[in-house]
Amino acid sequence: MAILLNRQSSIVVQGITGREASMVTKHTLAYGARIVAGVTPGKGGQEVHGVPVYDTLKAACAAHQLDTSVIYVPPAFVADAIAEAVANGIKLILIPTENVPQQDAVKCLALARRAGVRVIGPNSVGMINPADCVKLGAIGGDNVERCFVPGPVGVISRSGGMTAEVSWMVKRAGYGVSTSVSIGGDALIGSTIKDLLPLFEADPETRAVVIFSEPGTSQEEEAADFLSQGKFTKPLIAYIAGRFTEDLPEGTVFGHAASIISGNYGRPSLKAAYLKKAGAYVLENFDDLIPTLQQVLGPQSAVAGSAG
Amino acid sequence: MGRLLEHHAKQLLQAAGLAVPPGGIAVSETEALEIAQRIGKPVVVKALVPVGKRGKAGAIRFAENPEDAASISRELLGATVRNFPVEKVLIEERLDIDQEWYVSITFDKNRKVPVIIASLRGGVDVEELSHSYPGEILVREVDPLSDLADYETREIFAELGVKGKLLVAAAGVLAKLYRAFQRYDAYLLEVNPLVITRDGKVIAAAAVMSVDDSAMYRQAGLMDMVQLGSERAWRPLTDLEKRMVEVNESDPYRGTARYTEMLDGDIGFMCGGGGGSLVCFDTLTALGGHPANYSEVGGNPAEEKVFGLTKGILSKPGVKSLFVCHNITNNTQVDILARGIIRALQDLQVDLSTFPVVVREAGVNDAAARELFTAAGVDYYGDEVTMTEACTHMMARMKKLLADGRPS
Repeated sequence: MAILLNRQSSIVVQGITGREASMVTKHTLAYGARIVAGVTPGKGGQEVHGVPVYDTLKAACAAHQLDTSVIYVPPAFVADAIAEAVANGIKLILIPTENVPQQDAVKCLALARRAGVRVIGPNSVGMINPADCVKLGAIGGDNVERCFVPGPVGVISRSGGMTAEVSWMVKRAGYGVSTSVSIGGDALIGSTIKDLLPLFEADPETRAVVIFSEPGTSQEEEAADFLSQGKFTKPLIAYIAGRFTEDLPEGTVFGHAASIISGNYGRPSLKAAYLKKAGAYVLENFDDLIPTLQQVLGPQSAVAGSAG
Repeated sequence: MGRLLEHHAKQLLQAAGLAVPPGGIAVSETEALEIAQRIGKPVVVKALVPVGKRGKAGAIRFAENPEDAASISRELLGATVRNFPVEKVLIEERLDIDQEWYVSITFDKNRKVPVIIASLRGGVDVEELSHSYPGEILVREVDPLSDLADYETREIFAELGVKGKLLVAAAGVLAKLYRAFQRYDAYLLEVNPLVITRDGKVIAAAAVMSVDDSAMYRQAGLMDMVQLGSERAWRPLTDLEKRMVEVNESDPYRGTARYTEMLDGDIGFMCGGGGGSLVCFDTLTALGGHPANYSEVGGNPAEEKVFGLTKGILSKPGVKSLFVCHNITNNTQVDILARGIIRALQDLQVDLSTFPVVVREAGVNDAAARELFTAAGVDYYGDEVTMTEACTHMMARMKKLLADGRPS
């Protein structure tokens, strides 16, 4: 078990013929995930690493059972690609594209929400379920096992790069991940920390969740409320990066687009206090993740977890 | 994201059919005098700087006559308001105010929809408004898929208790504001106060507009009004920062290389990506270090971009070392980072025996990166150490350097 992805996930890549999409397709297939179709308007009939390309998602869906899409198109075309995915019955969409205009993001996120379609991103490096060898997006690159091995820890990260680093730290601590999700660094994203916690709560494989956070947004406060309400009962370990930004004049972006402090809104210290009060383990130093995981999970989980 | 200066925001609002106070821009006392004489009434003089709370900073002043306007302008021009030097002032007719309202449009990031915030108690900042009159603020979500219907604009002001002709006029103004918010890809449009004059006109007396720089590709008309990269500093961009924006923009489609100068510091900071840089900066700071800059490199940049950024980082006066550290990369080729960084070190003839360079780079092609860095004589670590441990190594080298340099 894991969340969002499994062996049955049937994946289409929208924009498959692009440089990045083609490379990711190659790595994803090599890892074992089922990319069964690709879409690029005007390039129907071609193949990318053996995957058939269609002009429209409609045509791809007529030929294949598809439930999951990765959208590799430039910012200006993301809204249309999401609309196409929603219209054709895709249930899970990953958007790696950075710099999607906010006016477009609100529209297509609303469209997906209304249709009951889950969106991860924009600006996500991907997500991965190592027990089933399924991944979406560039996550893990061509050397997936370096960072991502199966185990009992769920990872939710607002930073794509740190999704890998956190998962690698989990491995270094002697465990592995059930699912790691890069939720995207933009201000407007499809799934927030709080949106994913119920999935990890329901997943029997997941015994603890690690979140990597940054300044800005109120995602951590919402997650803390979720904890306080008793809706998430597993250990939650949080690291909130960017404390130094509190000593600088507010309103400046550091890191991702969403990473901005305004008044008390978005302050790492307040997020930390809030999460602590709700019962989360809040890490002072990033390296504390290793002993904290060991304390929370105990030594034997490393073996038990990798059986999934 | 980019905040427009007020006169630009008002120019756009006027183009969208909204009334703004008559006025003009002055860069000198003489011009200020002329504008105030032309207006022929008491005026408001506003410093044009891209920051909020200008009133509290003394950057919005009233003048009874043209001579006052000129002398206030002289004081403001050349002064610095919240780190921004005042180069221009906006001089506008002082309105004959009956009421001051508040209206803003922005995105609610939790609910992921546009929201309109309105109140009949304007003229104070929104934090004060929500603190003092929480019951008199109306927040209305807008359906992003069907946009704002005209009847909704009437409902908003009717709920606030506006009646008669004014209800119809205010609703019309809000409809135009919302269209401007959309048309210019704004993420914040605030009119405070929205003034109702004694003769019943609805006028946008003050406007704040911030536009989404991700949408600049379709907003060519705003290019001259927005400084790229300005959201990444709390003051005007320094010359070095402007050069680094150029380095980044020279190849806009491959990778990012962002740079923010710190006031002081001695560690050149060459880190990434978005989250990894935050971790490194926090960790170095916690260990007593002083990074001379913040930076962020990611998205698999070309060697030239890495080279340009590294040279920029090393060129800041007072930099005594270089710290290079990323999270384990998913797709950024660290051998390319190595090439760009080493070229910059060689180009500037950095003496590694007196200028510590500590690197922690792991991920795509790190075997090649290890060879390159090691051959260049750099203190290299891969994924045998954590990011925190790399920071500790950097600080050990720094402490030794500072101790050695101390006169005995």
